[in-house]
Amino acid sequence: MNRFFAAMFLSALALVAQPVDRTKAPPTPPIPEYKLPPVYETKLPNGLSVVVVEDARFPLVSARLAFQAGSKFDPQDRPGLAEAVASVLTEGTKSRTSRQISEETDSMGGSLSAGAGADGLTLSGSALSDNLPRLLTLMADVAMNANFPQDEVALYQQNRIQSLRAERSQPAYLAQEKIAAVVYGSSPYAHIGPTEAAVKSLDPKTLAAFKDARLVPNNATLLLIGKLPARAALLKNIEQQYGAWQQKALPAAPKYDFPAPKRQIVLVDRPGSVQADIHVGRLAPTRASADFFPLMVGINVLGGGANSRMFKDIREKQGFAYDAHSEYDTHRESGDLQAITQVRNEVFEPALKAVLAEMDQMAADPVPADELSGVKNFMAGMYLLRLETQEGVVSQLSNMKILGLPNSFLETYTARVRAVEPAQMLGVAKKYVASGDAAIVVVGDASKIGETLKKFGEVTIAKAE
Amino acid sequence: MKKLLVCSLLLAGAFAARSAEFTIPIEQYQLKNGLRVILSKDNAVPVVTVYIIYDVGARSEEKGRTGFAHLFEHMMFEGSANAPKGTHFAAVESNGGTLNGSTHPDFTDYFEELPSNKLATALWLESDRMRSLSINDENLKNQKEAVKQERRLSFDNQPYATAIVDAWPGLMYRNWQSSHSLIGSFEDLNAASVADVTKFFRTYYAPNNAALVIVGDIQIPETRKLVETYFGDIPSQAAAKRPDLTEPAGFEARQQAYKDPLARVPGVVVGYPGPKRRSPDYYALNMIDAILTAGDSARLRLDLVKGKQSVIQYEANLGWPFASALDYRDPEPYAIFLLYNPRFTAAQMVSQVQDEIAKLQNEPVDAKELERVKTTMRAGRIKELQSTMNRARALGQYAVTDGDPGLINTELDAMTAVTAAQVQAAAKKYLTPDRRAVLEIQPAPAQAPPGAAKEGK
Repeated sequence: MNRFFAAMFLSALALVAQPVDRTKAPPTPPIPEYKLPPVYETKLPNGLSVVVVEDARFPLVSARLAFQAGSKFDPQDRPGLAEAVASVLTEGTKSRTSRQISEETDSMGGSLSAGAGADGLTLSGSALSDNLPRLLTLMADVAMNANFPQDEVALYQQNRIQSLRAERSQPAYLAQEKIAAVVYGSSPYAHIGPTEAAVKSLDPKTLAAFKDARLVPNNATLLLIGKLPARAALLKNIEQQYGAWQQKALPAAPKYDFPAPKRQIVLVDRPGSVQADIHVGRLAPTRASADFFPLMVGINVLGGGANSRMFKDIREKQGFAYDAHSEYDTHRESGDLQAITQVRNEVFEPALKAVLAEMDQMAADPVPADELSGVKNFMAGMYLLRLETQEGVVSQLSNMKILGLPNSFLETYTARVRAVEPAQMLGVAKKYVASGDAAIVVVGDASKIGETLKKFGEVTIAKAE
Repeated sequence: MKKLLVCSLLLAGAFAARSAEFTIPIEQYQLKNGLRVILSKDNAVPVVTVYIIYDVGARSEEKGRTGFAHLFEHMMFEGSANAPKGTHFAAVESNGGTLNGSTHPDFTDYFEELPSNKLATALWLESDRMRSLSINDENLKNQKEAVKQERRLSFDNQPYATAIVDAWPGLMYRNWQSSHSLIGSFEDLNAASVADVTKFFRTYYAPNNAALVIVGDIQIPETRKLVETYFGDIPSQAAAKRPDLTEPAGFEARQQAYKDPLARVPGVVVGYPGPKRRSPDYYALNMIDAILTAGDSARLRLDLVKGKQSVIQYEANLGWPFASALDYRDPEPYAIFLLYNPRFTAAQMVSQVQDEIAKLQNEPVDAKELERVKTTMRAGRIKELQSTMNRARALGQYAVTDGDPGLINTELDAMTAVTAAQVQAAAKKYLTPDRRAVLEIQPAPAQAPPGAAKEGK
């Protein structure tokens, strides 16, 4: 086992004297430094970016082929196209059937799957490290030669319609679906999934056309992490596998018209709901914005985990909810923030008031120093914990590529979190967190909570189906 | 590493399996008060997991107190003598860590995963609540509400969950200890008293009924010293009585239909009483589970999802739904949960599952397939053990259930030693229709008044 992260270890333990003072938390040294492991980057002549990280702790390799081909490229009349391409991508190539692909994957001790997010479509693979050449061959075949067999597309359509119905039976899904539509308006980030009609209209040709246009080397990054062979041999292997892949001019980028945030109240009626799912949210800046770090720290003060204001007030003090938290999600072109809780119908009104009050409080007073340092430590530690496994490191690096950010974003993350000042946070909170311009989306039984919700303003009622 | 590309159809399973060996280091000992301690050092990433497993779960509950073990788990976050309410979350999270607890049929566990400089903080917190939990009316009332809200959120408002947590155990077991609802009823939760909580704490949350596991960026001598400092003088208690989980002899086939107002897609659970933990049949059934459900080339996927296009999603496990092969403690079933296309009936789905099992009973699994499944199993295990949390969980489980944390390094060999003949024999012995329980979960829209569905709404 070698030292993957060249971290400085300061012994916490010598500091503890005996007998111990149990009445307060033991003194401990500062959080250990984290340094990103060496990341080697290169580019093939056809435009394919290559990222390689050595991690020999376990006899495994994890790989990603990340494309700029997410759901924001779905045509208006076909929401879910990128997701469908990803789902059927691994179900057959010109020379391999779906069964052969899955047997080959399993015989390597591996995995192979593809998924689409808002910005990126990612083919993910892994294998026991001795099987890396086979994994590279298989991933190249899938990326270049996937042919979307008719029967596999039909099966995807059939099952996706069923799973969509199952998803839409979940209040959390209905809430996320509605708030994305409200916050992102007519922009390509407004949909989080397909519609049944769009799934029904899919055919192999449509999927193949999307793939042919966007799954090209000059729109992709190949990332490898794990117990790897010598660098020169590895690069030669990659060149042999991926060098002949033809580059192509990319289609025009979609237009992004993000609506100005304003207060709207939408109730998604779900008769029989025993509780109300509350989402208060609005548009927020990308990670490239100067506002990102102050806002991210602020959102963690508001509702990041069990030490946050929402958790302490809404769950611990008031006992309104099991879960109360906030989220700040960023896409490449925009982002959104949300305060979320699920409460029983009887306490709906005070709970919604409490959510709005916590948001407004962020914009009213600066965050006290000790609370702020706790949140910064929380974020720094969470960041460290995410990088424990190969999957964790490769996901972070792949995310950087998809969001168009430099690796230095990861390296400087902790330092930039630490540098955030209360005054900056107050400034961005007035701009983004104050609840006045935030949309309120509630999923629940309109006959139980509809009248109450009207106390907060004009309510639009939507059907849950 | 071979430089030439190997043809993708070459069989590499045996080679891969051999090269994948690795060993988790283990240091184990016991404090004078009976606390079992397992340390495993890995200084690669500056992260440490502190994990405590108490040998008590929901199957130790008494009648009239369903859901109590879980309620008690919540009480463990309500503060202790030196770490009042809120300190636990604050101390772990403000230092960058994560923490949680979870209640299972036969054990309850708690963990902190945090930057390694904070090891002492985690030990301070865990020892303080083992020594001096704050048990009072206010905390209890507060957590009853939190548990009820958790039930509303995670069970009553989710499709399938209520059927699985409330109805399934009643179908699988005759002994009340196993057949009662593990999340519990509101009535029983309301009935829980401070005296109940105090008694449960004394009986089960003693050092001699627990194991402490520390995995990650530590130094052994300093860690031993810290453990002794914080846990060494917590008094032990009389050994706790184990619940009698014996099931009446002779399992009869059972079937039940559950109407789920929140489900949109029909589901069915098919289960069979399983063998004794770590018996040869246990390993054989675990292999059967892998043949049916592990990896993309698993039989349920190729034959039912792809072939018959009947199954949409599946999950299965030894000990499903609350346990896995790792924390399986008999009596447990082997069960499969399917969501399926409504073009099919529940009866058709059950017979499709039984047909898959019949294949296992009637013909030995071929060598190539068995080798592939073993490779999948081995790789899955290595991937899982990458995180300190999963290593700690496995070490704790093997220590408490089997008395040997060293199984983390050898159990995979036992799991992959199963032969085709053993698979066939276990399928014949355990997975027969006459010892099968079936739970149908039928979508039943809530809007319809009682009886309306019949009239063809």
